[in-house]
Amino acid sequence: MRNGEFVVSASALCKTYQIGDLKVDVLKAVECEVKENEFVAVSGPSGSGKTTLLNLIGGIDKPTSGKITVFGEDLTEKNEDFLASFRCNKVGFVFQSYNLVSTLTVAENIAFPMEWLRKDANSIRNRVGELLETVGLQHRVEHFPFQLSGGEQQRVAFARALANDPPLLLVDEPTGNLDSRTSQQIIELLQKLQQGGKTIVVATHDERILSLVDRTLCLEDGKLMSQDE
Amino acid sequence: MSETSFPVNDLLRRKLQTSLVVVALALCVASTLFLLVFAGKIGLSVSFIVEGRLTAGFSTVFSPFVILVGILILGVGVVMISFMVFMMMSQRVRDIGLMKAAGCPSDLVFGYFLTELLIVAFVGCLLGVVLGVAGDSAVTSLFNSMGFRIPQEPIDVWFVLLVFAAFFILSLVVGIKPAFDAARVSPTKAMSPTYHFGLSKEHGFKVVSKSGFVFKIALRSLFRHSSASLRIILCLGIVFTLVTVGVAGGVIANQTTENWVEKAIGRDIAIIAHHDVCVNYQLLLSSFYEGEKRFQLNYTDQRYAISENLLNQLRFALGNTSVDARLIIEAQVNEVQGYTLGDSTQGTMLVGDSRTGLSLIVGVEPENVLSKWFLRGRFIGEVETFEAVIGDTLAHKMFSTPLVQKMKAFNASFDVVGVCVDPVNNGNVTYVPLRTLESVANVSRPNLVMVRIDRSTNGTLDRVKDLAAAADPEFEVVELNEMLDRSMGFVGSVWSTVMFLPVFSLIAATLCLLGYVMLAIDEQKQEFGIMRAVGANPKTVINIISGQSLLVLLSGYVLGVAFGTIITLIILVEEPFVTGLTVLEIAGWLLIALVTMFAVSLYPALRFARKPILDIMNQS
Repeated sequence: MRNGEFVVSASALCKTYQIGDLKVDVLKAVECEVKENEFVAVSGPSGSGKTTLLNLIGGIDKPTSGKITVFGEDLTEKNEDFLASFRCNKVGFVFQSYNLVSTLTVAENIAFPMEWLRKDANSIRNRVGELLETVGLQHRVEHFPFQLSGGEQQRVAFARALANDPPLLLVDEPTGNLDSRTSQQIIELLQKLQQGGKTIVVATHDERILSLVDRTLCLEDGKLMSQDE
Repeated sequence: MSETSFPVNDLLRRKLQTSLVVVALALCVASTLFLLVFAGKIGLSVSFIVEGRLTAGFSTVFSPFVILVGILILGVGVVMISFMVFMMMSQRVRDIGLMKAAGCPSDLVFGYFLTELLIVAFVGCLLGVVLGVAGDSAVTSLFNSMGFRIPQEPIDVWFVLLVFAAFFILSLVVGIKPAFDAARVSPTKAMSPTYHFGLSKEHGFKVVSKSGFVFKIALRSLFRHSSASLRIILCLGIVFTLVTVGVAGGVIANQTTENWVEKAIGRDIAIIAHHDVCVNYQLLLSSFYEGEKRFQLNYTDQRYAISENLLNQLRFALGNTSVDARLIIEAQVNEVQGYTLGDSTQGTMLVGDSRTGLSLIVGVEPENVLSKWFLRGRFIGEVETFEAVIGDTLAHKMFSTPLVQKMKAFNASFDVVGVCVDPVNNGNVTYVPLRTLESVANVSRPNLVMVRIDRSTNGTLDRVKDLAAAADPEFEVVELNEMLDRSMGFVGSVWSTVMFLPVFSLIAATLCLLGYVMLAIDEQKQEFGIMRAVGANPKTVINIISGQSLLVLLSGYVLGVAFGTIITLIILVEEPFVTGLTVLEIAGWLLIALVTMFAVSLYPALRFARKPILDIMNQS
C-alpha cells in the first residue's frame, strides 16, 4: 500500500432505505479509509451494499447516520450545490449501467462535465480528443450511445468520468455486463489509470481486477467484514 | 391481475398525470360547452341588438368576432383533446413494449390501455359537462347582475348529452390510434431508443457554451418526442391565435368602435334646444345602448325653432366653428334604385328594391358639423346640394348598394354620397344639407344647436345657459359627455364578453403545457439523474426543462400571435384605430398570458429538481 493522506474516511456509516413500511439496512456502521493514490476494491455478494457505499463516497446519496469525509469535506453536512460542484471537480463516477445521456453524442457525453466548469472551447475539444484516444474511440466521436456496443459505452463512461481529471475515480462493476475480451480492455484501462496516479475505488467481483488492487474491502449484508491487502 | 384491475391501478399509480389529463379534458369540454351555451345567448342578444340596440356597423364588427372566437374555441378543444390523449398513450408505449416482450398478447395489451382510455375519457367528459353547465349558469348570473340582459334559460339536456357524446367519441378516436400503433409495434422496436428518441447523426462535434449546451439538450428533447412537440406547438398556436383574436381584436375593435362613438357624438358637446327636443334627442342617443324609447314629436313646431339671434350670440360667444345648427325631423324615406357595373358582363345592373321606412332626417351645415363620423364614401359637400349621408343601420335595412343609389324624402331626391356609423337613433338616420332640408320640408329654422364647450375657459357653459334661457325660458342646455361615456361603456362591456371567452382555453392550454413538460421530464429522468450525478446542479436541470417549455411555448406564441394579428387586422376590423397605448395594452396582456403559462409550466421542473439523484435514477 502506498503512503499518503486519507482521501476517503467513513465512520459508523449507516444507510437505511424505507420501502413502504419496510426498512432495509443497506450499510451497517461501516468504518473505512482510502488513502491518496490507493487502488481499492469493494467486493461482496449482490445486495451487500457496494454500490451504496460508492454512492455515499461520491456524494450522490447521503448516509442515514455516521460520517463520510472525502478530501477533508464532511459530505453529510453539505448542500446540493456544493455536492454538485464536488462531484464535478473531485470525483469521476463510472456507473454499472454506463448511464450515458442518450440525446448526446459520444463527444458531447465526454464534454458536458467540462462544460459545467465553463472551460473554454479549445481546451474542451483538446481534452475530448485526448480522452477518446485514451479509450480508443476516436472513430465513434459523432455516434449516439445506442449506436455503441456495451464495451464501447463503458469506455465512453470512463472517458466522461476522467473529463475533469478528478483525483478520485469511483467505478461500479466495470466488467459486470461485458464479455471477457471487452472486460480485458477495461481492466487495461484501469491499470493505465492506476499508473497515472488516480485514487480508484472499484466495486467488483472480477478476480482479474481484485488481483490488481492494493486493498479489498469485503462487504457482506451491509457490514464491512475484512480489509484484505 | 384481472383485466380491469390493471388499468385502474395503472391510472391510480400515475395520479398527477391522470388528474392532469382528466382536468385538461374536462376544461376542453367545459369551455366548448360554455361557449356553445353562453355565447349562444350572447349571439341571440346580438340579433336583438341589431334590431334594438347597437347599430348595424357595430354588429357587423362584433358578430364575426363571436363566430371566429367560437370556431377557434372548438378547434382548440379538438386539438387539446387530441394532444392530451396522445400524450397519455405515448407515456405507455414503452410499457406496452415491455408487456409484449414479457409475453402478453397484443390484444390483451390493447385491451388494458383501451380500458384506461375509456375511464379517463368518461370521467373527463363528465366533469367537463358539469363544469360547463355550472360555468354558464354562474357567468350568466354575474353578467346579469352587472346590468347585461342575458336570458337565464334552462339547459337543454339533450344538447348537453350530445356535447358529452361528441367529446367522448372524439377522445376515443384520437386516443385509440397511438395505443393501437404501439400494440402493433414489435416489442424490440417499442423499447428501442432509435424508435423512441428519433435521433439523427450530427455533422461534426462543436463545443458550445454552458447555456448553448443547455439549449442543445432542450432542442434535442423536442425532436426526441417530435410528435408530442408538434401537437403541443399546434395546440398552443391555436390557443394564442384565439387569445390574440380575443385580446388584440377585442382591444383594437373596442378602441376602434369606441372611437367611432366618441367622434360621432363628440367630447365636450352640449345641445341647446327646447325641453321636448332635448329630451327626445337624448332618447335618440340612448337607443344605441338601451333600445328605442322615444315619444312622437312634431319637430316642425314653431316653438322649437332656434332664432337667428340666438345663433349669432352663440357664434359670437363661442366662435363660428363651435356652433353646429341642426334641423331634425322624423320622416318617411324611400330607397331609389340605382345602377352599378355587373361583375361578369361589364354591363350595368339595377340595384335596390324601392324600400320605404321611417328615418330621422337631420339637416346640417356641412362646414360647421362638430361630429366626425366613421364614413364610407364622403360627407355632403355644400349647404344647398341634394346629397345625403345615411346611417349604417338605415343603409343595412333599406339599401342594397347605398353609394350608387339615391334616396327620396319630402318628394326630393338625394344622392347617397356616404354611409356613417352613428349612434343617434341607433344608426337609422339621414344627414342632408340644412338649407336643402329647410327648403324641401318647408321649415324655416333649425330646432337644435350643438356647441363645443371650451373646458379651458371658465364659465363658458353658464354663459351658454344664460343665452339659451334669455332666448326662451323653455330652452335647455344639455351636456352629452355622460351619454357619450355610457355609450362607450356599453361598447366596452360588449367587447369584454368576447375577450373573456378565451380564458377557459388558456387555462386548458396551460394544463396541456404542464402535461407536455411532465412527459419531457418523464422521458429524460435517467439523463437528468446522470447529469446531476456527474456534477450538474438542480438549477441546470431546471434550465433544461424550462428551455424545452419555453421553446414550445414561444413557437406556439409566435405562430398564434402572428395568425391572430393577421386575422384581427386584415379580416375583422376595417381601418383599425390603433395607438401606441393600444399596442402596449395588447402586448401587455399577451405577455401576461405567456409569462403566466411559462411560470406554471415550471412547477413540474421545480418539483423534479428537489428529488434526490438516486430516486431519479432508480425511477428511470
